[in-house]
Amino acid sequence: MTRFQIGDRVTVKDATSMFHTRTQAYTRGRTGVVVEHRPEWVIPEDEAWGREDGRKEPFYVVRFLQRDLWPKYTGFDADTLETECSERWLEPAEEEPK
Amino acid sequence: MSSPNSFDALQTRVADIAPVYRNPLDSPYELSNEMFAALRHVLHDVGGQPDLPIEYEEKVEEPWEMSTYVTCECLGWRGVWNSEERRRAENDLGATLYFGLPYYARWATVAAKTLINKGLITPDELSAKLDEVRARTEAAS
Repeated sequence: MTRFQIGDRVTVKDATSMFHTRTQAYTRGRTGVVVEHRPEWVIPEDEAWGREDGRKEPFYVVRFLQRDLWPKYTGFDADTLETECSERWLEPAEEEPK
Repeated sequence: MSSPNSFDALQTRVADIAPVYRNPLDSPYELSNEMFAALRHVLHDVGGQPDLPIEYEEKVEEPWEMSTYVTCECLGWRGVWNSEERRRAENDLGATLYFGLPYYARWATVAAKTLINKGLITPDELSAKLDEVRARTEAAS
């Protein structure tokens, strides 16, 4: 079961990382939209230390607007960036419904 | 084989690839949370950092690069490591080595380091092999 569905708006948690992370600093605290599901896989927090039988979670492709990521972005408003997050890194976006 | 002169040359090269602008922390007594976050920042997370353009080259993989890739994959199939361990090991090389080595040399380096960390080879075995290969290639050239 996936907690988030395609089209859901999600915010990347600004959680503390120690020693290794796949959650880019520039996505922390930013809000994007789920555009794809990825198969369950061992989370990087376990896999990076060889725990291949570690905790498995669904992964999500999250699409951000570039202008939401970079305050000084000079490209087109429609430009996007996609990255993958495991479920633990995402929470429902707290924002006004449009 | 090593002479004081070659040591001096090595020291100069090491100094030449060290970061130029930096604020040395010198083991402070206290750190702010902000500084601790900066110290924890993972090396490969470069998105958003200012940088200069590099020349784009249309090039194919060289044989040693493909051999390195295949060797690392085989180590994965045999249960030595996985890709995420490799990425972490690359970060753990530190900035000078991470950005100083060619991409697949980084792979080869961390493959060797992981094999040592896991007790599958010893550093002196690796050094002896490097010396053997260097002697062979120098004899051939």
